[in-house]
Amino acid sequence: MSVLSMASTRRSLPNIPWRTVGGMAIALVVAYLVILNASGPQAQEQFINALTTGALYALIALGYTMVYGIIELINFAHGEIFMCGSFVAYLLITTFGFSGAITDLPLLAGVLFVVFLVSMLSMGVVGVIIERFAYRPLRNAPRLAPLITAIGVSFILQNIVFVGISNSVVSVPKLIPFTILNLGPVSIREINLVVIVLAIVLMVGLQLFTTRTRLGTAMRSTALDREAAQLMGVDINRTIAITFFIGAALAGAAGVVQTQYLGVTHFRIGFQDGLFAFTAAVLGGIGNTTGAAVGAFVIGFLQVISSAYGYGRWNEAIIFATLVLVLIFRPTGILGQQLAERA
Amino acid sequence: MTAATGSKPLRPRDVVIQVRDIFDRHQSLTIVIGAIAVIFILPFVATLPPFNGFGKQNDWINTFADAGVFVLLASGLNVVVGLAGLLDLGYAAFFAIGAYTYAYGASSFTGLHIPFWIMLFVGAGVAATFGLLLGAPTLRLRGDYLAIVTLGFGEIVPVVILNSDQLTRGTNGITGINQPDLYGILGINSFGFQSPFLYFVTVVAIVTVAFILLYRLQDSRIGRAWVAVREDELAAASMGINTVTTKLLAFSIGATTSGLGGAFYASKLGIVSPDQFDFTVSFTVLAMVVLGGMGNTWGVAAGAFIIFEIQHQGLKTLGDFVQSLHIPTFALGPLTVDLSTFNFLNYQYLLYGLALVLMMLIRPEGLFPSRRRRRELHAEGDEVAELLSAETLEPT
Amino acid sequence: MRLRNLSVLATAALLVASACNSSGATPAPATTGPGASTVASAPASAPAGNVAVKIGIELPLTGGEAPNGQPTANGVALAISKLTVPGFTITIEQKDDALNGHHDPPTGAANVTALANDPAVLFVVGPYNSNVAQAEIPVSNAAGLMQCSPANTNPGLTKTWGGVDPKTLRPTHPDQIAYVRVATTDDLQGAGGADIAYNVAHAKNAYVVDDTETYGKGLADVFATDFAKLGGTVLKRDGIPTSTTDFTSYITALKGLTGLDYVYYGGVTTSGIGVFRSQMAAQSMASIPFGVGDGAVDGSAATASSFLNLAGADGDANTYGTVAATHDIPNPAQFTTDYKAMFNTEPGSYSAAGYGCTQVFLQALQAVGPADGSDLVKLRADIRAYVADSSHSYDTALGTFSFDAAGDTSQHIISYYGFDAGTKDWKFLQQRDFTANPMQ
Repeated sequence: MSVLSMASTRRSLPNIPWRTVGGMAIALVVAYLVILNASGPQAQEQFINALTTGALYALIALGYTMVYGIIELINFAHGEIFMCGSFVAYLLITTFGFSGAITDLPLLAGVLFVVFLVSMLSMGVVGVIIERFAYRPLRNAPRLAPLITAIGVSFILQNIVFVGISNSVVSVPKLIPFTILNLGPVSIREINLVVIVLAIVLMVGLQLFTTRTRLGTAMRSTALDREAAQLMGVDINRTIAITFFIGAALAGAAGVVQTQYLGVTHFRIGFQDGLFAFTAAVLGGIGNTTGAAVGAFVIGFLQVISSAYGYGRWNEAIIFATLVLVLIFRPTGILGQQLAERA
Repeated sequence: MTAATGSKPLRPRDVVIQVRDIFDRHQSLTIVIGAIAVIFILPFVATLPPFNGFGKQNDWINTFADAGVFVLLASGLNVVVGLAGLLDLGYAAFFAIGAYTYAYGASSFTGLHIPFWIMLFVGAGVAATFGLLLGAPTLRLRGDYLAIVTLGFGEIVPVVILNSDQLTRGTNGITGINQPDLYGILGINSFGFQSPFLYFVTVVAIVTVAFILLYRLQDSRIGRAWVAVREDELAAASMGINTVTTKLLAFSIGATTSGLGGAFYASKLGIVSPDQFDFTVSFTVLAMVVLGGMGNTWGVAAGAFIIFEIQHQGLKTLGDFVQSLHIPTFALGPLTVDLSTFNFLNYQYLLYGLALVLMMLIRPEGLFPSRRRRRELHAEGDEVAELLSAETLEPT
Repeated sequence: MRLRNLSVLATAALLVASACNSSGATPAPATTGPGASTVASAPASAPAGNVAVKIGIELPLTGGEAPNGQPTANGVALAISKLTVPGFTITIEQKDDALNGHHDPPTGAANVTALANDPAVLFVVGPYNSNVAQAEIPVSNAAGLMQCSPANTNPGLTKTWGGVDPKTLRPTHPDQIAYVRVATTDDLQGAGGADIAYNVAHAKNAYVVDDTETYGKGLADVFATDFAKLGGTVLKRDGIPTSTTDFTSYITALKGLTGLDYVYYGGVTTSGIGVFRSQMAAQSMASIPFGVGDGAVDGSAATASSFLNLAGADGDANTYGTVAATHDIPNPAQFTTDYKAMFNTEPGSYSAAGYGCTQVFLQALQAVGPADGSDLVKLRADIRAYVADSSHSYDTALGTFSFDAAGDTSQHIISYYGFDAGTKDWKFLQQRDFTANPMQ
């Protein structure tokens, strides 16, 4: 949480913020109880739904928060990268000719690996390209200029998919069998398990990357103080490009998750889910990757709780009202922000 | 260029400076004269080619009246974003509040039929109050947190309207909204649905009054406080400016024009429904402010007008034009390009997005930037020399 | 600096429409949709002495709405190309009410204003969306220009609905109508849905959900009321915002509804109804019948992005749909053949309705034309009066019908459809005439 505690890269044990973890555990228990009250026997399933939705949002939110942390830009085009990632997955799967669940485990693993890899890499590249041509020239422009540009880029991406692929809802074959796994008292579907585990793996990987590697340190230092990092020999342009690459790759992964978990995609999902993901990032504390994950799960749970109680139509209002309330009492988000202090 | 004393040749720059001086000294009069000029000039221009190819004069005047709503919205958002530097991404919420206020005050839904002219004040007041209410939670937030909260409000308000069936008729919206009425003055009663010129004149009048007030505010202590808070909040606070009231006033006054615009919009259309006030509207108004020239009231108005006309007329006619050229199909690398069936409207978002990106890359200060902004971004050699050689200091 | 200014101008030029536009009143080609071809709407040379008049089209033609509006506009064009009225040369004036790809009421109102300002326009076919109609009816009413909607189903446009008198939409001439429609209204369609649920699917306990938009919510509300009237129970009533793609929590909640034997979803396919059904099927709930309105009866399972397509093979089973029109149109094969000959594609759901509206116009013109000659003002007024007169009936591609005093069609027929696993398409089950056979 504090900058100093994250500064070291050579600890033998990861520095686990126990207060955060404890707080999260308590929150999860409370959330379960709230869901139990509304859903009774379906509570476990709803709980897992919430975790899965939260995992999906977390993958998108991470990209938002990383980019914001490093160049203080709300990258509105990020949601569209998520959407494009899902269409890449769609195109790959239909080109390969799969039309349903794959039961052969090695084949399934192989196909998924390829789809994720291609989607993440291609979206990473797209992210870097966007940064290079649309944001880098505006690094010193007034804050609104790159914001407008970002929205312009999001329009462009939406339209490319709209004209090039489909102007309506597209159904994507779900490759992961929908079977239920019974692990002791918990029964969870394969797909939910895959999504949650994948998200956790990617998030932990990201955390390790930013805390343990030189590139990661470069990213964090650029986020803290760009000029000082430059003086220390960090190549700012490259670091920012890598940040965009990683963020976009995660969004690409989220896109694949979208197709496999929900089985559909649409050229407009980038806007809506991107908005929630960005709200998650702000909720948790912009610039703070743990915060983005926390915020994403909060939003996932809010969605499930509101629909379990029959307030589904108020979903968006509930989420944003929560955001406003949290920010009134904690103006820098749940876990606080990790940004350079401006004069 | 060195300054010469005594007689100098009159350069275009001098004319501009002279005009600016006159404007600064007789602001309100200039605005009124400008408004009258607009009332005559715009309809005239609509009869000239190429514009007369796109539609009849009456149709043009109708779109001018519709564009006037967005001019009002953009001027209001300009106060929040351009003058006070508060990034508001949910301005459509105020627009919705303004429109629904009018719908409550003058429709068969509530049975109230308060005259339009009075509702303008009521609407402005209600919107200003909501400006305070929605601005209050944002006071402690800096920069982009403020943006996301305002975005949140922009989403919350339509959702609340949508789901409060009893109060707002939810998704069906409120119909039977009264049109402006002159009660016999000049022989005119209700404006009805066939007199675009009346609406046009009315909206120009509303814009004129709004502009006079906005320009006065800009020159006042409040206006300078806004600029100070925008540039450096900490320094402003240490100079004794109450940042809380300054920001609240920015939201409040910025929202006022949306009350005016909302009332006009609702009365002209005759209906309101929540889906007319979504994020696209917020973003459109923001784009108008940024592309028009943030901080510059008339620049923003011009930007709003231009963007509105392009959105509503531009691409369709561009499409028609390209099709009428009957360009034969040709090959572009591996693709064959068939322009005869090319529908530009399918690419409208692409073109809009490209235009936004290009504009920001080339001219981020907007088409008609405020003088301060242009100096910030394009400190050109001879402008600086100008300043050094000018006999009088230009006001900012 | 010069270069920068030039670039600004260039950018502005990119934005601004080009200088030479010659289209004016000639119809814009119908260019979206598969296999679309240009609309020929007038004979190459008009016989001398004919009065030149126009029929207006006001539909969403671009963006996500094009699949709705374009086939309907094509229906109008087909009618104009095939049918003539002696003494008149009819051309089409086409307007699009989609802004940024979505139907936009103020744009619709501006379009009707423009059409009304053109004295040669005697009739307008459109709009497609009910909320656009709400903005347009006051304008056409003020101008005395008759509009015929091929697809509006919201009852409030012509009947008292939700406590609101339709006269509030006609402030200028409250007692004169300038709006009729050939589609019947959702109060009947919702009743039809309830009829299917209770009498065809024999359900007793329903979950009713809508997509929070006007059409969907109205339909679902009527279903819920009528289903209860028939004797069923509405277990839960939900609204899912249209932007939702993740229905998992709603589907999970379904499992908690004991005795659930029907799900009715009011809305359009683009709100995700098909996805909802496919997720139901994935959770082994495909045996619970699923009912939709005509917003989701939009093609077979092979049609891309249709409800049946998105619901998946498992989800398609046990689905029912209603359409607010008669199934038994006279000579459907001929219509399809003619349409395909002109446009190279299958007709859309409302192509016949567009054709029918045009026939109403042509028959009215035939009746009042000779007397009025070339007096356009009189023609417009007389056509309005003719169509508003409920004693007149029309022989159209949709069958024979008349309009009542409020502007609603006399065809109070709702067609019921069910999924046919063999053809993987909707199969006509029966139709019910709610005038002859009203719901108790």
